[in-house]
Amino acid sequence: MSDKSNSSIAEKTIQLNELVSWFDGDEFELEKAIDKFAEAEKLAAEIEADLLAMKNNITVLKKKFNEAE
Amino acid sequence: MEKNVPQLTVSGFIATLNQTLEYAYPSVEVEGEVASFKVNQDKYVFFDIKDAGGSVNCFMTVWQLRVPIEDGMKVIVTATPKLTPWGKFSLTVRAVRPSGEGSLKKSFELLRAKLDKEGLFAVERKRPLPPLPHRIAVISSVQAAGYADFIKILDDRWGGLDIEVASVQVQGAAAPDQMIQALKHFNAGEILPEVIVIIRGGGSADDLSAFNDELLVREIAASRVPTLVGVGHEVDVSLADMVADVRAATPSNAAQILVPDRQEVIRGVRRQVNALLPRIEQVIDAGRQNIQYQLADVLRAIERQHDRNSNQLAGVRRVLAELDPRKVLQRGYAIIRGEVAAGQQIEIEKSDIVITAEVVDVRQK
Repeated sequence: MSDKSNSSIAEKTIQLNELVSWFDGDEFELEKAIDKFAEAEKLAAEIEADLLAMKNNITVLKKKFNEAE
Repeated sequence: MEKNVPQLTVSGFIATLNQTLEYAYPSVEVEGEVASFKVNQDKYVFFDIKDAGGSVNCFMTVWQLRVPIEDGMKVIVTATPKLTPWGKFSLTVRAVRPSGEGSLKKSFELLRAKLDKEGLFAVERKRPLPPLPHRIAVISSVQAAGYADFIKILDDRWGGLDIEVASVQVQGAAAPDQMIQALKHFNAGEILPEVIVIIRGGGSADDLSAFNDELLVREIAASRVPTLVGVGHEVDVSLADMVADVRAATPSNAAQILVPDRQEVIRGVRRQVNALLPRIEQVIDAGRQNIQYQLADVLRAIERQHDRNSNQLAGVRRVLAELDPRKVLQRGYAIIRGEVAAGQQIEIEKSDIVITAEVVDVRQK
């Protein structure tokens, strides 16, 4: 589950980076820029929400680590 | 012969005495200075432990000696007192640990030199930690302040991590073996963690001496999983730190090394998106400027054409002006209208007057 949430963030981050690259690339068109910008804003908001929602799963092992083992 | 006085054989006496000693002192810690240290056959260790008032023989095996010692060092031995079959009293030692700052330092330096010679601290051995590990193994005491700091900072910085904690003693005689067992456990699993973190908060040199245990240091070096060790404060350096793939100055620093700060990531994402608007504005500005340049070019072309037309018109005007009959009249010429024949009336126009006259005669020149 934690891997999933992290990979979801990673995927969204890749998508965001691709969008940002589009703005600096040769394919940039002013007519499409506003839609792309809105898409980037939405992704950024999702990444932020995902990051803030993530909790760690901590398990303290019951096993005793004694020399005699 | 006295009554109630036991009569024993020599062997019986030795056995009885050893039973008594074992009952009275199953385990004893004795502090003193090492003297006559020697190792026989690479297996057996003999030395004396002494103070100003006395000296006791000590015996142990090489594998039990976890820290290097030499004559003159102050140590604490954990041992069982015993009378040998030859009537020699000695301490059968299970563990030795240096005592006092000087001895701890000396022992540290001796072991460091030994392990360094073997290449255990070589930079080439160091492996990088995964950039963002998800499965993290932690070896620490869950009671320790250092562990609480580590978990708090880890939780603050990142989430979604699967953290398995082996709670062990991180000081005292049992600590090295417990940490070794925990390391073995995490290295033996079917699914290995991506990193093993060993942490402990600050303490005295004696408290932290568990992290200078030779077998523990070797176990860390042998770990299949990359290791991150953060023990004590920034100024504390242990052999466990030195052999780890990555050393953290403190447990908090270990958490900082392990995962990025989500607040920084969020700020970075915001910066990325905010930088897009100026990019759009820049393109719009560039387009606007381009249009202005084009308009200016058109205006300049119109002006040039207008100038050309004006010049042409001026030329035509000049020619027309030269051809104006009024100018000819002004030069003294006259226009004659009417039939030029004798007796006919004609009209003579000069620049300023019109004369009506009668033709008297017409002849060829």
